Amino acid sequence: MTALLSIQHVTKVFGGLTAVDNVDLEIAERSITSLIGPNGAGKTTLFNCLTGLHRPEVGEILFNGSSLIGLRPDEITERGVARTYQNIRLFGRMTALENVLVGQHLRLQSSHWSAVLRTSRQQEEERAAREFGRELLDFVGLRGREEVVSTNLPYGDQRLLEVARALGSRPLLLLLDEPAAGMNPSETERMMDLVHRLRDEKGVTVFLIEHDMKVVMSISESVAVLDYGEKIAEGTPEEVRANERVIEAYLGPEVAVEEAAGNAVD
Amino acid sequence: MPLESATRAVRTGLIAFAFLSYLILIGIPGRIGGPALPVLALIAALFFWLILRRESIGQFRQVSGVGQDSSEGKPGWEIGPQAGANGSRVRELLPSRFGTPLVLKGLVSGVTTGLLVAIVSGIFATAMGNGVAIQPVLDKIVPLNIAALIGVSPGQIAQSDVSFIRFLVQVLLFAGAGILAALVAAAGRNEPAQNALTGRLSAHLSGPTIRSGGRFAGIALPFVLLVYIAWLGLPGVTAFGTNEGTVRLLLTLIATGSGLFALRLCRPGREKLVVAVLLGLGVVTMPFILDQFQNSVMGLVFIFVMMGLGLNIVVGYAGLLDLGYVAFFAIGAYTYAFLSAPFSSPYISSLLILLGISPESPLLGYWMALPVAMLTAAVGGVLLGIPVLRLRGDYLAIVTLGFGEIIRLFMLNLGELTNGPRGILEISQPALFGLTPVDVTFGLLSSQGWIFLLALVSSALVAFIANRLNGSRLGRAWFAMQEDEDVAEATGVHLVRTKLLAFAIGATFAGMAGQLYAARQINIFPENFSLFVSIDALALIIVGGIGSPAGIVLGALALKGLPEVLRGVDEYRIVTFAALLVIMMIVRPDGILPSPRRRIQLADPEEAVGDSDQETGEALADGDGGKEEDQ
Repeated sequence: MTALLSIQHVTKVFGGLTAVDNVDLEIAERSITSLIGPNGAGKTTLFNCLTGLHRPEVGEILFNGSSLIGLRPDEITERGVARTYQNIRLFGRMTALENVLVGQHLRLQSSHWSAVLRTSRQQEEERAAREFGRELLDFVGLRGREEVVSTNLPYGDQRLLEVARALGSRPLLLLLDEPAAGMNPSETERMMDLVHRLRDEKGVTVFLIEHDMKVVMSISESVAVLDYGEKIAEGTPEEVRANERVIEAYLGPEVAVEEAAGNAVD
Repeated sequence: MPLESATRAVRTGLIAFAFLSYLILIGIPGRIGGPALPVLALIAALFFWLILRRESIGQFRQVSGVGQDSSEGKPGWEIGPQAGANGSRVRELLPSRFGTPLVLKGLVSGVTTGLLVAIVSGIFATAMGNGVAIQPVLDKIVPLNIAALIGVSPGQIAQSDVSFIRFLVQVLLFAGAGILAALVAAAGRNEPAQNALTGRLSAHLSGPTIRSGGRFAGIALPFVLLVYIAWLGLPGVTAFGTNEGTVRLLLTLIATGSGLFALRLCRPGREKLVVAVLLGLGVVTMPFILDQFQNSVMGLVFIFVMMGLGLNIVVGYAGLLDLGYVAFFAIGAYTYAFLSAPFSSPYISSLLILLGISPESPLLGYWMALPVAMLTAAVGGVLLGIPVLRLRGDYLAIVTLGFGEIIRLFMLNLGELTNGPRGILEISQPALFGLTPVDVTFGLLSSQGWIFLLALVSSALVAFIANRLNGSRLGRAWFAMQEDEDVAEATGVHLVRTKLLAFAIGATFAGMAGQLYAARQINIFPENFSLFVSIDALALIIVGGIGSPAGIVLGALALKGLPEVLRGVDEYRIVTFAALLVIMMIVRPDGILPSPRRRIQLADPEEAVGDSDQETGEALADGDGGKEEDQ
């Protein structure tokens, strides 16, 4: 497996705070990778660097062999990186289907003149886009909710809709920022199933931030851990779970030893 | 009727009377003349309605329970002070679900006001009849004023010849106003916003039969008005005596506005198409029927419709608050002026000589100049757009405000290029194949009628283009940008291109409007393009309903048309107009005809989702309104 995304020495500084500190990470194609770490560890900042919202001071980000540094967010999306947000950021007054159509925006070609004249090609493209949008909503499990205004959707459905919107741009790499946050167990189950299907059926590489350890451990093929902006561990879920620095970061140094013993018993 | 609510109803009546007495003291009835009493009663009805309407809403919320509010994301205490905090009020309001106590309250308020008006006008009339000098103290209390209030002639006052019946009529009129207000308030409860005036009223009255009758009446209304306007235009027929011109202008405004409501009442499909075509034909015949003055007002209204539609792209679709929109209007107007007026600046002349064109005016006719004016305005739009790309909200508003002023000051101070404050005179009129339509139609179409017709056709074109763009991927990108700029960009929307397109297209439409405005005015001066034009354009789309083309037409009718009708009440014109605007914003805060999106946002989630089980819940909560839905 080749690396789809390669993060090299990426550092992001806000004033005196180094939010992301010299992070190296490789993400294999068609893999599911989790990024974990305590609050404020710099996980979302790293995501923002990947999607062009922040520009890292140092480092290189290679996606599919070419650099993402200095590109605008929409250019990065065009290359095949899409994301969801920690605090849901849908286009609230638009319907579910319209949200997914905006997701497809840069994959649509027709000119604005053709929209005024309603040429047959433009009409055909719109029809196909709607069809694809419905397909995606169906894929994430929102069939029959196409015309619902997105703020009126239940919380769990809003998270699913964010995934569908991200899929609209036909991404190769999907960044999910805490997809299961605030979900009940059955919704979490649905989300985990969706992540698997994303990879298996759509061939999308998934890179996710998650706090729910049950999700992380059962879903990921590899796990990276950030603490104070630094990557402190990387490996399979089992390796990371046993890593002392990780336990220390999560629980503090004094309990680390006890906890390590407890983990061994698990 | 519990004592508490009776007191409140009486108090409402007293406040209404206090307001009316102010109107009487400043001499409004005398100015209005004959129909003064019904007008005052209507004003009182409006006031009663504003009060009763709030009561009915408070009661509705209370009955509907708390769950709805939490799902709407509003804090629960928002309705508390109105209804929830007062326990006795809740109990008392519950039975009023079916409208009766509301009517009773309206009646009590109306009778209170009516009695007071009758007593006061009676006292004044008696005093005047006995020769008591009131005028030195209250200078507007003259026999003319009081006579209009009672509905008699000033002579009858002087001779103390006023029958008791007159005062009874006063009381009855105000009582009727109270009942009307209560009925409308009861009908307006939690009705979806798309129910237009007639639909709303009829929805209350009773079952489906009357409702469909109301719908039919709503659709028929503009046609009836149009026929009436045409009839008024026939020689020798006068209906309202001296005020005929103004009345016809008012009717024209109402006919156009109610036409838009009628379109909303239509079922989509063939019915809508037929009504739209007939209405279109009706509106297109208007320029031939109206006189010069009425046409010039309607022309201005539709020039502002074009402005509003253009600004709506920037503000309503893309969500960029532009307060300097007049700049593009001015650019369009001056471009056409340069190209078509005899005035020629040394700069332009030398430029033309350089290009090998003889600097004889007019250079270009209206149609040839149109693309130039549009293009110049579009370039202006892009030039403004580039520096403000990174600005949002308030900052954007301030910078654009400055841009609008810069262009005006440019026109004012660059005397050699623009003739400064002396303006550009004798701008040529639009022709059609070298003929002016005034000649072609043998005078049937006046020069202002021709401008009105052009404004109508251009507005229709602009509305068509704006609508198509809004429905395309560009429209979605605009709206996404308005919702969340960062996310839109991360989702794949090219912000720079999308924003500049909004500015450029909006400016193009303003340029078209500006050119037509220059042709309408014949002479233009820098002060025609003050900040107030921007404010008017922005106000009309807010009043009409942001994002809704039909609403913008209504907004323009109300903001540019109504002030002309109100000229009859001269010095109170602006006050009256302001009062109308305030009432409008209280009653319909999302505009007269809001866009579907706005409605979605403002409506209860239940309404918008339309799930069957949720609708049942709403029907239970809604009392009579919901029951009708079930029938």
